[in-house]
Amino acid sequence: MDSLYLLIPIALVFCVIAIKLLLWAIDNGQYDDLDKEAWRILADDDPPATTDKIEQDTDTDNKP
Amino acid sequence: MCCPGCRAVASMIAGSGLGNFYQQRTAYNERPSPEAAATPEQYLIYDDPELAATFTEPHDDATRSARLLLGGITCAACTWLIEQSLSRLPGVQRALVNLQQSRLDIRYDPSVLPLSEIFARVETLGYRPRPFQANIQRQQMEQEYRIELRRLGVAGLGMMQVGMFAIALHAGDIQGIDLRYQGLLRGVSLIVASFIVFYSARPFFSAAWRHLKQGSLVMDLPVALAIGLAWGASAWATFSGTGQVYFDSVVMFTFFLLLGRFLEHRVRQRHTLTWFDAQSTLPAAVSAQREGQWQSIPRMQLQDGDRVLLKAGDTIPVDGLVMAGESAVNEDTFNGEHLPRSVAPGDTVYAGTVNVEAAVEAQVCGSYRDSRLAALQRSVEQAQTEKPRLAKLADRIASWFVAGILVVTSATGLVWYQIDPQQALWVTLSVLVISCPCALALATPAALTSAASALRASGVIVRTENALEALARATHLVFDKTGTLTEGTLAVARVIPLGQEDEPRILRIAAALQQYATHPIAKAFSEISAAGDFSAISYQVGAGVQGRHNSSIYRMGSEAYCRELSHALAPAPDTDLYWIALCQDQIPLAWIGLSDRTRVEAPAVIDEAIRAGLAVELLTGDSSQQGPLLARQLGITEVNYGMQPQEKMARVRELQARGAIVSMVGDGLNDAPVLGLADASFAVAGATDLARTQADFVIVGGDLGAIISTWHKARQCRRIILQNFAWALAYNLCAIPLAAAGFVPPWAAAIGMSLSSLLVVINSLRLNRRFPR
Repeated sequence: MDSLYLLIPIALVFCVIAIKLLLWAIDNGQYDDLDKEAWRILADDDPPATTDKIEQDTDTDNKP
Repeated sequence: MCCPGCRAVASMIAGSGLGNFYQQRTAYNERPSPEAAATPEQYLIYDDPELAATFTEPHDDATRSARLLLGGITCAACTWLIEQSLSRLPGVQRALVNLQQSRLDIRYDPSVLPLSEIFARVETLGYRPRPFQANIQRQQMEQEYRIELRRLGVAGLGMMQVGMFAIALHAGDIQGIDLRYQGLLRGVSLIVASFIVFYSARPFFSAAWRHLKQGSLVMDLPVALAIGLAWGASAWATFSGTGQVYFDSVVMFTFFLLLGRFLEHRVRQRHTLTWFDAQSTLPAAVSAQREGQWQSIPRMQLQDGDRVLLKAGDTIPVDGLVMAGESAVNEDTFNGEHLPRSVAPGDTVYAGTVNVEAAVEAQVCGSYRDSRLAALQRSVEQAQTEKPRLAKLADRIASWFVAGILVVTSATGLVWYQIDPQQALWVTLSVLVISCPCALALATPAALTSAASALRASGVIVRTENALEALARATHLVFDKTGTLTEGTLAVARVIPLGQEDEPRILRIAAALQQYATHPIAKAFSEISAAGDFSAISYQVGAGVQGRHNSSIYRMGSEAYCRELSHALAPAPDTDLYWIALCQDQIPLAWIGLSDRTRVEAPAVIDEAIRAGLAVELLTGDSSQQGPLLARQLGITEVNYGMQPQEKMARVRELQARGAIVSMVGDGLNDAPVLGLADASFAVAGATDLARTQADFVIVGGDLGAIISTWHKARQCRRIILQNFAWALAYNLCAIPLAAAGFVPPWAAAIGMSLSSLLVVINSLRLNRRFPR
C-alpha cells in the first residue's frame, strides 16, 4: 500500500496537465461555439452539386 | 414560399447546389423583407479603404480579414450555408461563422474580391450583414463565457479526482482503514478541493457577499455558506485527524451548480442581440452635394447644412428640411401608421423614416444625436433601466431557507452540547452539510433551461433571465396594432362598383394603374393580375395616379383628385376603411376600400387570453379609427390610439404603478422602448431588429398563437419550479432530523445530495416536451 505515496502524486500531476490543456483550449477559442462544432461533423463538406452546374444555371439566367 | 424575398433566397440556395441546407436546418429562417433589403449599390461604400479599415485588418500577403455581424442566423445550418457559399467565391481564403455571436470572420483578397461583393452575397442568402464593431459589452460577454467555462471545466476534472479519493475514504469508513492512509487521502482531497473552492466556487462567494452588503438575501448565500462551512469543517478534520470530511460533497455541489448556471446562460445568450441600436437602420452611404456634384459619401461625414438627395424608397439618413421636390414619407418608425405623410419644401423629414414616392432634396438639420431617432434610442435605454425587477422565486425562498437552517443548526448545537460536548461540533456540521441547498439551487436554472429549449424548438426564443417567471405572473397582455395584430400591409377589403364594370374588372384596372406607383397602396394590388396597357401615366404626389387606355383617361386616388375628372363621384361610404376612388373620364367606376388585414390567428389568441383571465389592451400609434374598430372586432375593451412611443411607455408605467405585471406584444421601432419597459415582452415575426433586442421573447415563426403557448409554458415552468422547491425542502425536512440525531455518515450525505439533485433535474426535463396542442 506504500505505493499510494507515489501513485497519488502522479495522478495529481496528470490531473494538473489535463486542466492546463483544457484551459489552453478554452483560451484558444476552441469552445467558443459549442453548437456549430457539434453540428459540423454531420455536414457534408462537399455538397453533391458541382461547379459545372452552377455555371449552367448562370448561363440560362443570362439568356435574354 | 410566402413572398418574393423567400423565393429569391431559395432559388439562390438551390441554384448553388446548397440545397442540403433545407435538410439540415433545425429552425426556420426569418422571412426576408423585400423592402428592407439593401441594394448591392449600398454596400459599395464599404469598398472605401478608410471605412473598411474600421472593421478589417491587413495581412502580410495582401489579404485582409474582415469581421461582419450577421442578422437572421437561426441555426447551425445557417453557418454551414454561409461558409459554403462564401468559400466558393474566388478570392475568399477562409470563411468562418461563429453561431453564438452571429459573427462572420472572413479572410479575402481585396484585389480579387471587393468587400461589397461579400456583403451582397450574404444579403442574397437572406441574412443581414453589417460591419462588426468591437464593443465593450460584447467583449465582456465573450470573456465571461470563457471564464465560466474554465471554472466549470476545472470543477469537473477536480470532482473526478476528489470522487476517486472519496470512494476509498467511504470504503475505509465501512471496512476500516489505516489512519496513515486516511490522512494521506484526506490530505490530497483537501489540496484539490481547496483549489476548486477558491477558483471555481468564487462567483458564489462574491455574489453572496455583494448582495449581503446591500442587505438582500439571495440563493447564492446558502450556497456559499454550505460550500464554505463544509470545506472549512473538512479541512479542520483533516488537520486534526478527527471527525468527518465532506470534500466530495463540496466539489460535486460546486460542479452541479456551475453546470446548471452555465447551461442556463448558454440557452439565453445564443440569441442576444445586444449590439443593435436604432442608428444601424440608417443607410451607411448617402448621396450628398459636394462641390456642386452629387457624391456618395459615408453618412458619418454629413455635416449640418449639407444638401442630401433622398431617392424614392430610401431610408432618410438624417433629420432634415425638404428644399426641393414633393413626396410622402412613411413614418411608421414613430407612429406605426402605414399611410405616409405628404411632404413639400419647408417640411421636416426625420431620420429613420422612409421616403416612398419621389426623390426630394433636403438640407441636413443637426447631427444624429439631435435627431428624433436618437431620442427614441435614448427612450429605449431609459426603459431598460426602469424595467421592474421582480424578485426571483428562488431568492425569496432563499431568505427563509437561510433563516430556517440557522435556527435548526444552532438548536442542534445547543442540544448536543448538553448531551455530548465532544460530538456537538461534528453533528452540527453534518446538519449544515446535509441541508446543502444543492437541489434548491438547481431548482430554478434546471427548469428555466428546460423550458427555454422547449420554447426554442417551437419557434420562440427566450432572451432574458427573468422573463419566464414574469410572464407566468402577468396580469395584463398589451398589444400593438399594426404589424402585430394585423399583417402590417394594406389589402383590398371591399369594392363598391359605381358604374357598369364588375368587381374583378375594376380590380384589374386598378392593378394595372398601380403597377406604376411606389406608394404603399400599390402593394395592395400587386397580387392581382393587371388588365390593359396604360400610356401617358402621370403620378401626382399625395393625390393619385392617372393613365390613358383606349382613348379614355383613368384616374385613381383621393376623392378630390378623382372629382376633378368626374364631378358625379359620390362621397366615400364611411371612415372605417381607407377609401380610394377609381374613375374613367367623367364616369365614376368604383370606391375601393383598403384595410390592414387582421392576422388570421389573432381572434383566437385574444379570446384565449381573455378566457385565461388576462386583461387585454390595445396600444397603437395609429390615430385613425382603425384601432378602436379592430378592438371591437376582437373583443378588446381597453383601447388607446394615436400614441407616441413615450405615451405608450407612460401607459405601461401607469399600469405597473397600479401593481399590474404587464406583458407587451409589439413589432416596430416605435414599440422598442415599451417592450423594454414591460415586465415580459414579445417581438412578433417580422419585428424590427431594435424591437427584438428589447423583447424578452422573440417569436421566430409567424404564429401569434405562440404567445398563448409561451404563457402556458411559463405557467408550467413556474409549477415545476415550485415542485422542485417542494421536493428539495421535503428532502431537507427528512434528512435534517436524521443528521441532527447523528445518523448520517458522509457517504450517505453525498448520495442523498446527488439523488435529490437528479430528481430535480429529471422533473425539470418534463418541461422539454413540446406544447400540448
